[in-house]
Amino acid sequence: MLTLIVFLPLLGAATIALLPKGRPEWPKWVAAAFSAVDLALVAWVVYRFVPGGGRQFAEKMAWIPQFHISYSMAVDGISLPMLVLSALLTFLAVVASWKIDSKPKFYFAMLLLLQVGTNGVFLALDFVLFYVFWELVLIPMYFLIAQWGGPRREYAAIKFFLYTLLGSVFMLVGIVMLYLKTGTFDMIRLAAIGHLLPAGLQWWLFLLFFLGFAVKVPMWPLHTWLPDAHVEAPTAASAILAGTLLKMGTYGFLRVSLPILPAGFLAWQWFIALLAMISIVYGAAVAFAQTDIKKLVAYSSVSHMGFAMLGIAAANVIGIDGAVAVSFSHGLVAGMLFLMVGMIYDRAHTRQISELSGLAAQMPVIAGLLAFASFASLGIPGLSGFVGEFLALLGAWGSNLPQWMVFVSALGVLFGAAYMLWMIQRVIMGTPSHVIADCPDATPREIFVVAPLIILIVAVGLNWNLLLNYVDPAARSLVKLMGV
Amino acid sequence: MTGYALLIPELLVLLAAFWALFAEKLPGGDRGAAWLGAVATLAAAVIVAVAPLATTGGPFPRMLAFDGPARLARIVMCMLAAVWLLWTAGRGQGRVREAVSLALFALIGGMLVAEARELVTLILAIELATMPAYVLIGYRRGDGKGLEGALKYFLMSMLTTLIMLYGFSFLYGLTGTTRYSGMDLKGAGTLGVLAVLFAVVGLLSKLSAAPFHYWAPDAYEGATPWAVAFVSTVPKVAGAVAIVRLVSAIAPGVPLAGTVLLVASVLSIVLGNLGALTQTDVRRMMAYSGVAHSGYLLLGVAALSIPGSAAAIFYALAYAIPSMGIMLITAEEGSQVADFGGMAQRRPATAWVTVIMLFSLIGIPPLVGFFGKLSVFTAALQRGFTAVVVLAVVMSVVSAAYYLRIVRAMFFAEEPAGHLGVTRNGAAATAIGVCVVAVVALGLAAGPLLASIGVVLR
Repeated sequence: MLTLIVFLPLLGAATIALLPKGRPEWPKWVAAAFSAVDLALVAWVVYRFVPGGGRQFAEKMAWIPQFHISYSMAVDGISLPMLVLSALLTFLAVVASWKIDSKPKFYFAMLLLLQVGTNGVFLALDFVLFYVFWELVLIPMYFLIAQWGGPRREYAAIKFFLYTLLGSVFMLVGIVMLYLKTGTFDMIRLAAIGHLLPAGLQWWLFLLFFLGFAVKVPMWPLHTWLPDAHVEAPTAASAILAGTLLKMGTYGFLRVSLPILPAGFLAWQWFIALLAMISIVYGAAVAFAQTDIKKLVAYSSVSHMGFAMLGIAAANVIGIDGAVAVSFSHGLVAGMLFLMVGMIYDRAHTRQISELSGLAAQMPVIAGLLAFASFASLGIPGLSGFVGEFLALLGAWGSNLPQWMVFVSALGVLFGAAYMLWMIQRVIMGTPSHVIADCPDATPREIFVVAPLIILIVAVGLNWNLLLNYVDPAARSLVKLMGV
Repeated sequence: MTGYALLIPELLVLLAAFWALFAEKLPGGDRGAAWLGAVATLAAAVIVAVAPLATTGGPFPRMLAFDGPARLARIVMCMLAAVWLLWTAGRGQGRVREAVSLALFALIGGMLVAEARELVTLILAIELATMPAYVLIGYRRGDGKGLEGALKYFLMSMLTTLIMLYGFSFLYGLTGTTRYSGMDLKGAGTLGVLAVLFAVVGLLSKLSAAPFHYWAPDAYEGATPWAVAFVSTVPKVAGAVAIVRLVSAIAPGVPLAGTVLLVASVLSIVLGNLGALTQTDVRRMMAYSGVAHSGYLLLGVAALSIPGSAAAIFYALAYAIPSMGIMLITAEEGSQVADFGGMAQRRPATAWVTVIMLFSLIGIPPLVGFFGKLSVFTAALQRGFTAVVVLAVVMSVVSAAYYLRIVRAMFFAEEPAGHLGVTRNGAAATAIGVCVVAVVALGLAAGPLLASIGVVLR
């Protein structure tokens, strides 16, 4: 089942590659069909998943037995929300890209290939397999940014590629060192025996994995690739980048660093919380200063993912619940924000906040949706953004982290409200500027794209247990495993 | 007497080489010679693959080993030569018969280098493998740059061969034998260190490893990409097996042997990758990147362990196969990075093939290059070379920066003005197709292959 979920998009990409050239309409239909089926399969997995039942849908067979490398996949309460994000956002990204007319075959094949990587990362339980999917993500994203991006796309694409590759090769060294010490690439087995490793070694290994994951999250000061990549990437790629790729980082901490290297984590805990705090405040402060609405959303990602890292640094059940909730919610909200920015840019051909004004008068639906996404982002109770940030802060407060860090981080929520509201005030209110004169409002297709996101944002915001039912048992067993 | 049958592959290649020498008078002409060479090398590869191993026996048991590493290296070299000759048969222009026969002679030399288990045989085989390479580099007689490159290669190669011979004389003096099996340098002291140092210098130069790599960029730039495709790949596979054999014979008991190799490895990785970073000529870029790849290979050798040796041999093929493919495509498109401009529009399939091979050279999974790097790093970490491995992986990110320049040209740049179009050619496409299939398939089958090398080295 999981194999099908991971590799169905690959089949889709291959199908698209074989389509005749003279039919520019076909690739998007094929891509939509494959990603819709994939989403349906994921929905089925969610339906059949037993909350609190540990790892499920496990598949395991030998791949390279000489080196104890196996093909091993399963889904648990932490990976399930991520898998949902990956499948949902890919499908929505395909539909959102309906108007792509430059090299549609190439474009949609890359979107599906990207999904192979993201699905795989969240399901793999063998380190080599995990690394294969982890690196696979780079290639389609590189092409998506470099081919369909903005004016500085080539620079942004190569920066993205090299930055994240640099992070992941450190992770590779860590994987090999773990293998040499334990003789296995099996992540479940490593989680069971990892705490037996000497603390000094764990300290080093944690650092190696930290570099791999923190670049992806991204944590200050390793975040500098993100604004460039986000701003230059096409809308759909931005949405997936924010919605899924960043989650690979937090997921890595939860799947690898915490369970396998508990002593290493304890040694670094304070430092991670500090970086999380800086990311929150720094991201928010820089977002304040942005004149480009897409860059504002990009820096808000740095800030919000800081909350996820704060929850992880807390390393208690509430904190980890919060970290997963932030990741999930940010996937929905940032995905939606980038889609909204894309819609506005398609019409106004500018993203400068100063040039946009009076959206509400000219395009009431788009303005309403943007306002909704912004409110979700700034953490209004009742929407999903609130759940995770609240839990992450609560978890951090109850942990052994210094409380001034939690206090400073909480200020980030305030900043978040401020820059978002200020942006709304400038963009939505006022009289329509000339750049949006005569622009049509949202089309039914565009509303269809964001509707599932809105439903999930509201549903999770109103009933936390919808998400936490799945996450909480997994977070409990993770904390128990760490023995902290 | 039946043992001589093990040399049938070499004999086949030799016959094809002679045929090519006289191709002018023979039916088929230049291209016919290339076709015949391709068929002969393919047949040789098949025969090697099905023939039994003769670890102790075989013809000339004191000089040649027909063991697992030799078998693997012979198969790979024959296949690489077959790919090169097939491409030549398809696209070779003008007078290619000498090139065909030179390549075949060099191939025989390379096969013997991989089999040699004795110093004098090794020297003779190396000479047989490199002499034709000088001529291939300077194949265009009227081209000053080509001749300059060939001369540089020749002088550097001669110098290092002489140093190596000097080292071999030490080895003989210290141990009283030229055979690997009886060599024991334990207790040889400083003299032993010098002997090892001098002996490996020659092989480092053949592998274009630092600090003996300066000939490579100039030589490759002067040569046609077509000649580079052969010279930069086949000898490296042979050299990898040779250095593994020599080092595992003489390094035990010599205190600094591993350090010498490790220093060469680090220098090669750093100088090669940084050197390649600024190149605009694909041949120069591949020359420097070849230096870097030799560094990764040597990292496996420097581990002085069986997994390390297996990793080094595996790395040699992981490097040689995509490198051959890329240089053949360079021979079609033009030798500047800019010549790759707009290839994704003109030849989408070839552009994607190039992407796959470049990503393999970077070390992106699940391609063969990734498993090459993985096995080398594993062996090195086992020996505790943690800092070196960290440096090596960081440098592999640097390599991504320059390899991606080619990708960028193919996908996001315009075709340069005056660029000659490339016609379709079935034979050449098949040749390049074999390379890319091998890059993917050997990646997926890396485990059994690596394990089999490791087992036979034990």
